[in-house]
Amino acid sequence: MDEIPKTAAPPEPVAHAAIEVDHLDFFYGDHQALYDIHLQIPAHKVTAFIGPSGCGKSTLLRCFNRMNDLVPVARIGHGQVRIHGTDIYGPKVDPIELRKRVGMVFQKSNPFPKSIYENVIYGLRIQGRTNRNELDEVVERSLRQAALWDEVKDRLHESGLGLSGGQQQRLCIARAIAVEPEIILMDEPCSALDPIATSKVEELIFDLKKLYTIVIVTHNMQQAGRCSDVTAFFYLGKLIEMDRTEKIFTNPGEKQTEDYITGRFG
Amino acid sequence: MKNPNRFDRKRLRIDHFIQWFFGSNALLAIIVLALITLFLFREGAEFFPQNLQNLRNYRLAGLEYVGIMRDQIEAHTSLNRSLQDLRLRQSNALLKRQSNALLKLGKTPEQISTALVPFDAFAASFDSSVEELRGLVSEWTDAVSEIKDKAKLREDALQQRQFLLKEGKRAEADAVRVTQIDFAAELAPIRSGFPLYRKASVAFRGKIETLLLQPPPLAARELQPRFEQFQKAARAYLASFPATERQLAKWEQFAPVPWHRAVTSFLFGKEWITNSFWQDWYGVLPLLTGSVLVAAIALAIAVPLGVCAAIYVSELATPLEQQLIKPYIEFISAIPSVVIGFFGVAVLGERLRELTQWQALSWISGFPISERLNAFTAGCLLALMAVPTIFSLAEDAINSVPRAFKEASYALGATRLQTMFRILIPASLSGIVSAVLLGFGRVIGETMVVLLCAGNRIAIPDFTQGLSAVFQPVHTMTGIVAQELGEVPNGTIHYRALFMVGLLLFFLALGINWLAQGIVRRYKISAG
Amino acid sequence: MQTQANLFQHRPSAQWLLETAVAGIIRSATYLVLIAAACIFLTIGIKGAQTVFTSHWPFVNVPFFTEKPSTLYVFEWQGQKREMSDDAFRAFKAAQKVEEIPAETYAHSAGGILPCIVGTVLLVLGSMTIALFLGISSAIYLSEYSRDWWLLRLIRLAIMNLAGVPSIVFGLFGFALFVGYFKWNVSLLAGWFTLAFMVLPVVITSAEEALKAVPQGFREGSLALGATKWQTIRTNVLPYAIPGILTSSILGIARVAGETAPILFTAAYVVLDKYPWQVAKWTDFFFQPVQALPYHIYVVSSKIPQNEYTERMQYGTAFVFLALVLLISLGSVLLRLRLREKLKW
Repeated sequence: MDEIPKTAAPPEPVAHAAIEVDHLDFFYGDHQALYDIHLQIPAHKVTAFIGPSGCGKSTLLRCFNRMNDLVPVARIGHGQVRIHGTDIYGPKVDPIELRKRVGMVFQKSNPFPKSIYENVIYGLRIQGRTNRNELDEVVERSLRQAALWDEVKDRLHESGLGLSGGQQQRLCIARAIAVEPEIILMDEPCSALDPIATSKVEELIFDLKKLYTIVIVTHNMQQAGRCSDVTAFFYLGKLIEMDRTEKIFTNPGEKQTEDYITGRFG
Repeated sequence: MKNPNRFDRKRLRIDHFIQWFFGSNALLAIIVLALITLFLFREGAEFFPQNLQNLRNYRLAGLEYVGIMRDQIEAHTSLNRSLQDLRLRQSNALLKRQSNALLKLGKTPEQISTALVPFDAFAASFDSSVEELRGLVSEWTDAVSEIKDKAKLREDALQQRQFLLKEGKRAEADAVRVTQIDFAAELAPIRSGFPLYRKASVAFRGKIETLLLQPPPLAARELQPRFEQFQKAARAYLASFPATERQLAKWEQFAPVPWHRAVTSFLFGKEWITNSFWQDWYGVLPLLTGSVLVAAIALAIAVPLGVCAAIYVSELATPLEQQLIKPYIEFISAIPSVVIGFFGVAVLGERLRELTQWQALSWISGFPISERLNAFTAGCLLALMAVPTIFSLAEDAINSVPRAFKEASYALGATRLQTMFRILIPASLSGIVSAVLLGFGRVIGETMVVLLCAGNRIAIPDFTQGLSAVFQPVHTMTGIVAQELGEVPNGTIHYRALFMVGLLLFFLALGINWLAQGIVRRYKISAG
Repeated sequence: MQTQANLFQHRPSAQWLLETAVAGIIRSATYLVLIAAACIFLTIGIKGAQTVFTSHWPFVNVPFFTEKPSTLYVFEWQGQKREMSDDAFRAFKAAQKVEEIPAETYAHSAGGILPCIVGTVLLVLGSMTIALFLGISSAIYLSEYSRDWWLLRLIRLAIMNLAGVPSIVFGLFGFALFVGYFKWNVSLLAGWFTLAFMVLPVVITSAEEALKAVPQGFREGSLALGATKWQTIRTNVLPYAIPGILTSSILGIARVAGETAPILFTAAYVVLDKYPWQVAKWTDFFFQPVQALPYHIYVVSSKIPQNEYTERMQYGTAFVFLALVLLISLGSVLLRLRLREKLKW
């Protein structure tokens, strides 16, 4: 509670927080990756995590859907992560259920070597849904939302691996939204894409925030500026500053943030 | 927040079950390894008490006592053999002289036998000098064998009774007759015959001494040193008589046999004799020597070839050769061992023997070889089986040397050869060593080739003959198990001895494996 | 430029000679290996082909593939030398109405090897089914579920050591456990389990490699969509690993088919009257001994003398067996190449 007041208080207080992180310490074995992170992520907004490599922003992102459980030595030291009020590291939480509601898009697009159609409905299939009409509907809706429908509607049953890089990434987004999550986590979704594909994905993110809460990790300052509402700056495992994006980019409260944004390090 | 816990863990139970299922399957490797150890022990462990009993009976029944005398006679027989050998050499020398001198000396076969008459007379009286002693000993041999058989019967009866008791058949168990054997009384007549032995021994000694004083003239002068050698051996033999006598006098029938003899007589015993009328011995040494000899021959051939092939393919070969040779060698590793063994029996053994009969090769000791199937034949074939293992591991080791090393060396103006011997081979040496060890493991555990091609003679090769020892037939640990297990009744000492051999083989293979892995691990650390 | 001497011109020297000589030695050593193996292939190929193939229609020695091994009778009849198998000889005697014809007999030298082929196929099918099931299960645990702890290291150590255990020790073990302790006697079932345990390390290692080759992204992508671990493995890992697992398991097949020592006392008999399918009850099927190609080769090459009559059977069997094993290996190599081209992600 000491840190956030240090920075200028957000002009619009977080009326409805989707994710609340409460003084979180996080370790990989003996190495502490996150120090006392305390923040709230507003619902139906795009929140960008920025910071130099290794500052812990991806680690924090992966805490939100417990993907860190897959790393054998990872553990929470202290603190809580709450999504809509539920402590997701609580004893009765099934990470599987959690991940159905908190989708994720990865840095490197990773479509399965299945058809486009099968890729999109994969999440529904594993939930045991088989109604053909319903699935068809979901595929169209998700692909439209991911702005990919027009490009692939004639080859839905071809392999997802045949798409271009940007299309593959949008396919992964379509796959993530097909299960209708509440939150979508994006881990540097554009780092492997060319500028045109990037701008398409950015437009997509802009559209999607009406429906979903989006958290995006990015290296790209302009990208954070263009498509996020709120920006959080991390440095060496600590949250330095979090505020409205215009504020961070025009008038940051912390010296370190300013140095980073103006490109003096990182 | 209407639903405070939205991420209920309901499906985890099934997932846990599946994880446990796979986990328990993964434990299988450990379980199998443990079961192998357990069951080899279970079947084999009782070998030691049985062997101890076997050794105790050997002493109690007096076999050991009579055995001392038998050894004495056996030594005489071997002296006799060397006389026979000398006769053969003489007649050969005479024949050769005849052909060389173009009949100048004019010796026909008849004349040769005439020339050898004095020697033959000497040999005959040397041979017959032992008669009296031999008669005595063979009588006693029969007597102690009888005592041993009685002891054996008693043991069988005891075992049967115990078995019946375990089954709960009390009446039948009591009906089994177990006779008591008074070993002292049984052996008494033989021990009291000691003066008889002494008399015979003294007479025997006297005869030989007289004979040695009148050596026959040799028909071929150049063989004189050999005859002197024989005389020396004969004198040494006579000199050992008092010691033998003392040994007999000192021998105690009831001296305890320490338990560790059961183990040492297995591990260091030089004889593996089964189904013998006299005494069965289960010494693993001849088999172990056989296995190691065959493996050593195989590696001596396979290591240079395998390493050369690896160097050739990774450094010298054209791309086309590379593409052909690698799968070809992989094919070699797929040839079943029994087919290779068959090839040895049907083709290679005979070809090798023909090869050694070439005059041009007769300078090599031991040539021409007498046995078609011997350690060398098996070694050659095993080498072919070991080459693919050594080749692929050595090639991996060479390829894993960082390119930078090689490029740096070339950049300094080193030739291919220099780069190879100064950079590549030293850098991949530990990889190559572990390849060789794994090859050794594969070769020593191989069964069918040695069973078919090693000649299966259970004896320690005579290494005093130098290199030609590799052309003697041997038997191996794997071979003996494969050959004899099918033919022995369960539970007998012989059956258990075979399991002990298997256990030894198992631990040997584990040890070699462990060593090879250790080297690989150290090598990885040093490379990383 | 012509006036200036070429500084980089090749100069023959002692070093160059040595270089050439050593390269020559290395090359000839390599070719020695290749030629030695070629000798085996050619000898068995040429001599075996004389038994297996015929010069007239249908160009294949059909009885060799459809009959049981039997004793060969060689005798003279009305001035002509005749060779007959056991049954034919008896029929001939009956037809000629003679009690006894003096004949030389050669064991295992007539008839064919059908029961041996059937036995080997049965042994391979059963043991590979068991080995694949157990091997893939443990590989899934090792690559998907396990974390790095002492038990895992122990398992890996055990697998590595199991791979080095001599095959005859597996034979002893199978004899003690399955034949003796479980009282299965010398039977197909005992052979299956003995062979399955023998190839287990091969299967586990190759299955684990194939599983590891499936990109991590497939797993993460699936898990991030809320799939359970098992759903992920079932739908997004195994389907892509199965071709790789099967391909490298073919090497295991070659080993199972080729080994003799483990079945010497657990499954193989020299001669059997009946074919494996001629059983009274279906349960008897599993508890019957079988004949097998490698064991037959062992018997005909060590227990009967070599002469012109026995040679046909020896080389013929060796040829069929070698061809079978090499074809399996060839299949493995080709499949692996195709797979490498097809599966690229």
